[in-house]
Amino acid sequence: MSDDYLLNKRILLVDDEQELLNMVVSILREAGFCQIATAKTVNEALDLTDKFQPELAILDVMLPDGNGFSLMEKRKGGYPILFLTARGEDEDKFKGFGLGADDYVVKPFLPKELLFRIMAILRRSYKGENPLVTLHGSQIDFSRAEVIKDGENIPLTAKEHDLLTALYRNAGRIVTIDALCEAAWGDNPFGYENSLMAHIRRIREKIEQNPSQPVSLVTVRGLGYKLIVEGR
Amino acid sequence: MKNVPRLLRRFIGILMLSSVLLLLINFGAFALIIIKHSPNISVSPYNIAEETGKALRTFESEYILPEEISHKLEANNAWAFLIDKDTLQVVWETENVPDNTPDAYTLSDIPDLTIGYLDGYPTYMGKAENGIVVLGFPKDSFWKHTRPSWDYHFIANLPYTILKILIINTAIILMIYIIANVKFLKPVKPIINGIQDLSAGKPVHIHEKGLLSEISANINRTSEILQKQQIQLKRKEKARANWIAGVSHDIRTPLSMIMGYAGQLDNSKNLSETEHKKAAVIIRQSNRIKNLINDLNLASKLEYDMQPLVRTQENAISIVRQAVVDFMNMSVDTNYPIEWKTSSNLSACYINIDKNLLKRAIANLIQNSINHNENGCIIYASVDDDENGNCIICIEDNGVGASDELIAQLNNAPHYMVCDTNTTEQRHGLGLLIVKQIINVHNGKVLIDHSKYGGFKVILIIPK
Repeated sequence: MSDDYLLNKRILLVDDEQELLNMVVSILREAGFCQIATAKTVNEALDLTDKFQPELAILDVMLPDGNGFSLMEKRKGGYPILFLTARGEDEDKFKGFGLGADDYVVKPFLPKELLFRIMAILRRSYKGENPLVTLHGSQIDFSRAEVIKDGENIPLTAKEHDLLTALYRNAGRIVTIDALCEAAWGDNPFGYENSLMAHIRRIREKIEQNPSQPVSLVTVRGLGYKLIVEGR
Repeated sequence: MKNVPRLLRRFIGILMLSSVLLLLINFGAFALIIIKHSPNISVSPYNIAEETGKALRTFESEYILPEEISHKLEANNAWAFLIDKDTLQVVWETENVPDNTPDAYTLSDIPDLTIGYLDGYPTYMGKAENGIVVLGFPKDSFWKHTRPSWDYHFIANLPYTILKILIINTAIILMIYIIANVKFLKPVKPIINGIQDLSAGKPVHIHEKGLLSEISANINRTSEILQKQQIQLKRKEKARANWIAGVSHDIRTPLSMIMGYAGQLDNSKNLSETEHKKAAVIIRQSNRIKNLINDLNLASKLEYDMQPLVRTQENAISIVRQAVVDFMNMSVDTNYPIEWKTSSNLSACYINIDKNLLKRAIANLIQNSINHNENGCIIYASVDDDENGNCIICIEDNGVGASDELIAQLNNAPHYMVCDTNTTEQRHGLGLLIVKQIINVHNGKVLIDHSKYGGFKVILIIPK
């Protein structure tokens, strides 16, 4: 039990290609998502929004009666947006992110990639709903900033919390040393590698059963670290 | 235009040199003429007059002129007479003295005889024992300075006066030259500017007037032709790049479906091992098409300068690390592990670069190793800096590698866009082409070599 609560989220898919809609729906269903609605135009999507109350929208940029960017601006409620489009130009990406999109996936894509990105957005957007993340030998309660190991509650420092949040958001994937330093120390993370190693060691002492042989927070030599979450 | 002052200096130099040379030649010629026409000292009228005066002797109240002097006088068609010092009467004369010469002289006649002429005959004086010998030469044989007096300051200042005249002359020559040349150079200046602008590809329009109007008109026509060609070329390039962008856009959606369903099939538990393998091949090949589309699009944009460069100061180690990790995170194949070989002592290597393009170059090199090693290989990534201030990024593998010939060809081979006829020639794949293009726009170099791990190696050298 970890990310399962995210599978109940309502996902709105907007694309003018019926075949693509069918395929994405099948990918999402296979992954366990059960509340999915589809629309082929901006108007259809806007009509659906009121009834369906999406918790994530996956939008194409080019739609017959407008574009995904304008649809995004017209949305009611702050649900997250993922653009799934054939427009791979940097300026399109910048525009999407500039408008507040949570992610931008350029077609063609692998189901694995799309699912990872959807889960990352949902985890980030709805983290408060299930604060307990289960690891191999412990659990992390992000809302209380503590680790529960062997019935004991171990508090996390602010930096440890930041680092674990960045790792959890990308659970199962490598997060680079630079990205972790940036998450903990801001925009100019140069020169914090040794501090990072010290923090990782302390996190391991808190989350691992055997910190010298970590199984939940693993090192990828020279590159970064990976958080392995149970049930994923 | 920088050459015009040099040209002017050269012209003026030549002019001054030729003026000085001309002056020297004239002086020389003048001196030669003077030497040629000045009378020989032995036949100088002054000397003859002096010799005659000294040689004239009295013997028993008779005057005798030695034969030698007489011959000299005859040879010069000269005549002579002696004025007695007491009486001022002519007491002796040669036979050829003109008839109308007076027989007696006053004291005031003596200076005239000295400095001037007697009835048109140039006369010269010589001291004799009893008076003065006057020598007369034929009319028009000598020209005498009758007033050989000059203002003292004029003579004293003569060197300065000559120098002043020379300077004034030089200035006048220079002025004439400059006035003449400014008139000539005035229309030349816009022509030179025009030619320079032409070479820089700028549009040129020169006023077609004056001596060089024909050249101006030709330059204007050339500019028009070049501009037209440039516009046409840009239009063609843009059309080609847009066409590629359009096609690649249209392929993306159908390819999404192929990849999506193949991905689902690959994850399906109901398929046999063989069917899984087939699904994996579809995914792998679709992925290649996807990379090809991305590469084709970027390559055409880089080729036609349509890709905006966003250069910032970045840590190359972070970028390469992120590119490697992105690849590892997305990789579905476990046959291609990547090892990070950057020294732990080096934590930063700052370069001014477009971050996304460098990531793309690294991803292409990793994909290149995968594409050429079907049976799998270990890929090694490293970043280093050299003593010349370059950042060295190296992506290599322990795979099948390439022969020496192939490596030499790849280091020098043309690529898709410039190789249009000889299809049998070894060409880069688009992946390597893009890497070369990306590194070139950052003024860097790409070297292809054998890897110490046994496979293929690509080194990117990017100046800091």
